[in-house]
Amino acid sequence: MRPLFAALVMTALLTGAAASATDAPANAYCYIGWPADGAVLPAGKPFRVWFGLRNMGVAPKGVAFENTGHHHLLIDTGLPPAGQVIPSDRNHLHFGAGETETMLDLRPGTHTLQLLLGDDKHIPHTPPVVSKRITITVR
Amino acid sequence: MRHLFVPVLLLAAFLHPGTASAQPANPPGSAPAAAPANAQVYFIWPHDGSVIEGGKFWVRMGLRNMGIAPKGTAVPNTGHHHLLIDTGLPPMSEPIPNDRNHLHFGAGETEARVELPPGTHTLQLLLGDKDHVPHRPPVVSKPITITVR
Repeated sequence: MRPLFAALVMTALLTGAAASATDAPANAYCYIGWPADGAVLPAGKPFRVWFGLRNMGVAPKGVAFENTGHHHLLIDTGLPPAGQVIPSDRNHLHFGAGETETMLDLRPGTHTLQLLLGDDKHIPHTPPVVSKRITITVR
Repeated sequence: MRHLFVPVLLLAAFLHPGTASAQPANPPGSAPAAAPANAQVYFIWPHDGSVIEGGKFWVRMGLRNMGIAPKGTAVPNTGHHHLLIDTGLPPMSEPIPNDRNHLHFGAGETEARVELPPGTHTLQLLLGDKDHVPHRPPVVSKPITITVR
């Protein structure tokens, strides 16, 4: 009986977590249109980052519209936990106003950039819509 | 090639009044949404003067100092893209027409797969507000000319 109860609790927890994430189409594709992977950029000069998204649309935070989300740019960090609100800090930039590009000014060195789409509540979709992680050098 | 377009245009003409009357897009008293003076819509791809082989290509729509929101979404400083193909600017105080020459991206899309017949074509981007009406001031790209062959 006890293992069965535990299994039921686990199922409830898992389905609860799944229900809080918004579905994304299987062919949704998120990518960094600029800069290119491996790009070397001049220090002290802000550069533009283009957010590419195919087979989905962009909507500001708080807007629940089918097959949409808003961009989050992960800088020098790995992917945050699935099913949870994406952190908002220097390494996780939110674009909740529906922006599709930004300007970045990074200090000299190598940096990684990755895009992760979040739903109206800043939670990654199921499946997650995430770009390839690129590495750039500022010098 | 022209005769191919006629049925599509007729269909659009037939459909459009129906949608317009069913849901007044710009009811009396609602002014077009305001846009920041530095808002800029532009083509990331293709470039002005591009030559495209085969006729199918992705159009990547760029927007600065504003955000994207799907149609019907009233969030300040947002709008959604409209791609004008081989046509001039529509009236700025009315909903943007919805036909083969005026493609709407009301689901918040920022790119589109477009197929055009061989020849030269003009493309221009025009942002529309939640009611598909251009902003004040209008957020419109430079028109570009491409060649498909």
